[in-house]
Amino acid sequence: MEKEVYYITADELAERGREAIPDELQSAKHLIYSSPATLSFNSPGAQGFGVKRAGLAIPGSVMLLVAPGCCGRNTTMLSELGGYANRFFYLLMDDTDIVTGRHLNKISKAVQEVVDSLETPPTVVMICLTCVDALLGTDMERVCRKASDYTGIPVRPCYMYALTREGRVPPMTDVRKSVYSLLEKRDRKPTTVNLLGYFAPLLDDTELYDILRQIGVKQMNEISRCQDFEAYLSMAEANFNLVLNPECRLAAEDIKKRLGIPSIELTRLYQLDKIQRQYELLGAALGKKIEDTAYYEKAKQVIDDFTNAHPNTRFAVGECVNADPFELSLALIRYGHQVTEIYGTVAPENFIYIQKIAKLSPQTRIYTNLSPTMLYYDCGKGVADITIGKDAEYYHPDCANVAWNQERQPFGYTGLIHLFEELTKALEGGMAQ
Amino acid sequence: VKGLLKYLSPFAPDQSGAAAVLFELGGITVICDAGGCTGNICGFDEPRWFTKKSAIFSAGLRDMDAILGRDDRLIAKLKDVADKVDANFAAIIGTPVPAVIATDFRALKRMAQKKIQLPVLALECLGTQLYDVGAENAYLELFKQFADSIQTDVSKEKSNEKILGVLGMTPLDVSDLQAPDKLKQIYKEQGFDKVLCYGMGDGLDAVKQAGLATENLVVSPAGLQAAKYLKKVFGTPYTVAYPLLTESMKEILKQLSGKKVLVVHQQVLANEVRTEISKNTDAEVTVASWFLLKPELKKEKDIQLTTEEQFIEVVESGQYDVIIGDIYLKRALKQYTGTYIHIPHFAVSGECANAVKF
Repeated sequence: MEKEVYYITADELAERGREAIPDELQSAKHLIYSSPATLSFNSPGAQGFGVKRAGLAIPGSVMLLVAPGCCGRNTTMLSELGGYANRFFYLLMDDTDIVTGRHLNKISKAVQEVVDSLETPPTVVMICLTCVDALLGTDMERVCRKASDYTGIPVRPCYMYALTREGRVPPMTDVRKSVYSLLEKRDRKPTTVNLLGYFAPLLDDTELYDILRQIGVKQMNEISRCQDFEAYLSMAEANFNLVLNPECRLAAEDIKKRLGIPSIELTRLYQLDKIQRQYELLGAALGKKIEDTAYYEKAKQVIDDFTNAHPNTRFAVGECVNADPFELSLALIRYGHQVTEIYGTVAPENFIYIQKIAKLSPQTRIYTNLSPTMLYYDCGKGVADITIGKDAEYYHPDCANVAWNQERQPFGYTGLIHLFEELTKALEGGMAQ
Repeated sequence: VKGLLKYLSPFAPDQSGAAAVLFELGGITVICDAGGCTGNICGFDEPRWFTKKSAIFSAGLRDMDAILGRDDRLIAKLKDVADKVDANFAAIIGTPVPAVIATDFRALKRMAQKKIQLPVLALECLGTQLYDVGAENAYLELFKQFADSIQTDVSKEKSNEKILGVLGMTPLDVSDLQAPDKLKQIYKEQGFDKVLCYGMGDGLDAVKQAGLATENLVVSPAGLQAAKYLKKVFGTPYTVAYPLLTESMKEILKQLSGKKVLVVHQQVLANEVRTEISKNTDAEVTVASWFLLKPELKKEKDIQLTTEEQFIEVVESGQYDVIIGDIYLKRALKQYTGTYIHIPHFAVSGECANAVKF
């Protein structure tokens, strides 16, 4: 009986190409193994921002989860988090509801009861729905309109349809559209920009703020920094949107369609020269010169210092991180280090990095956390000095680790600098394997 | 509105109970879901998952799998795993997705048994029921499938060992990962040679030899049906008790003379608390439970809780001096000014002693 853990080397994968990704790396082709390394895949809401928490991004909003009890179970944890107490409510479906859909008749009254129980009326009630309503084909827009008419308070749907995870509009893409759906057309201000994509702010010292100020931006809006509903509504005044996460593309398109606000997409990168190039392109798109030399030089210095102190460090990189694990791995390899193992979900768009990794580090092993064979992963056989990501830590528990999954979002040069500062800290206190 | 929770979060569902019973038995467990249920079961309702490996998988169902009822794909994926993973059985556990599309779990079981060379359990959970319903069903199916009467008859004649079988013990009910060790120590001191905690501490071999037990102990309502089954098949007598109350808790309970007390927990633990209080005081004690309230273990005034509104009403109208239960439930009792004594219930709050978080 085969007990080998499935992996593929970077050169083998690059040779197969994006059209021939092995079945073992495709979650739709096998049962999905559940280990702590997969928690953020199987239960995105369990850590960080999933649909439920994301749906509450609008200031003053509350959520009514309409589902069987099982769907709301992990929300017990969220309710304990700061800022979420008294914001989650549940309308539990019983055996009959899940077949007949009769629960839909109760939603308006349930929303009213929730509103009545609060000292201050909510700005919006988000109705979170799950797989059951996906299968029942519920017209939630209509149900929400009806509840809104009944209560006099905006009610919006928020789809936690795990069944559509790999579909055209996955839940985390759809919820981003939902949370901006209350914005209504306003006069635009040329010096206002929205930063879209995340549900927690960028790190305060991110150079993007400074760079935007350089080019004349006076007001930068992030939904997570909106203190109140009016601040949220003022996002409709933006001259343009900067999309920092591809899962926000659909929301940006919707905003463009409804409010006429165009968008520019920026990618979170860890390759120094690519960060510089991206800012050059942003400047060109806006017709402005962006001065980022000081940030570039500082980041270069931090990377050089790390590399001099810890040359040829062996990394294992996971996917539960604020990074594309393949882009991050490529960056580390280009800085002169080794990446022995990557635990990632391979999609066609990752091949741009995989092909480059294959040239520089052909023997890098690519695993997927979701493979059933990961049950037999033996950390004694892996080689790493340090891991990045909680999932990578699971496989190498005795290794130095940087989780790099903080809620405040790293971006650009500053993100890179903070990562290397964390790596230095971890290696000073960590243990090589 | 019936079913509305304004203060509490939902409790552990039936699929979590079923998965908890099977967790340590060395099988392949497939949660028939899109992924979220597996995440909840493992990441929230199964504290052992962070420290012990178990072959738990999500079926990874997608919309077209559900719409087209592609059970054959699920079975093909199960076979692929059965070929790669060492396991002594396979179990398929239901969730709301198969419930909505009316998946035929008996057919699923037959299809799986034809494809893989392993015994198969098919546990039809709905996600709308509570954990103990799923656990009860899982125990029963487990013993029906594996408790081996032929082996038992042969071995029983040779064995003079005094064996205690423990039923209804999962972290969801006992809320302490060291509970099996504590229980084993208690009963070994009472003269038992072996204490087998089915599903928590002991594996499938113990289940197969369940007929060898001299006596069974039921520590939660989820184990009662299985105890009755084992009595019927093997003649094994059973007792219902919860011998895991701490000495410090017993001391607290001794001080409740003259009080009106409401105990809200799983029924066996709650009854044990009542017995302990009644041994030493004249307190008036009522048991209430959100979970299974077995008629044979119930007193006339005991209360089956079904809604949050009812719970609040029971507490307000009952004028209790003391409430004993998981402190999480106090969130619903904004007006309650009496004494609240906390006994954790993992299925309610997710609080478990000796658990490690990832």
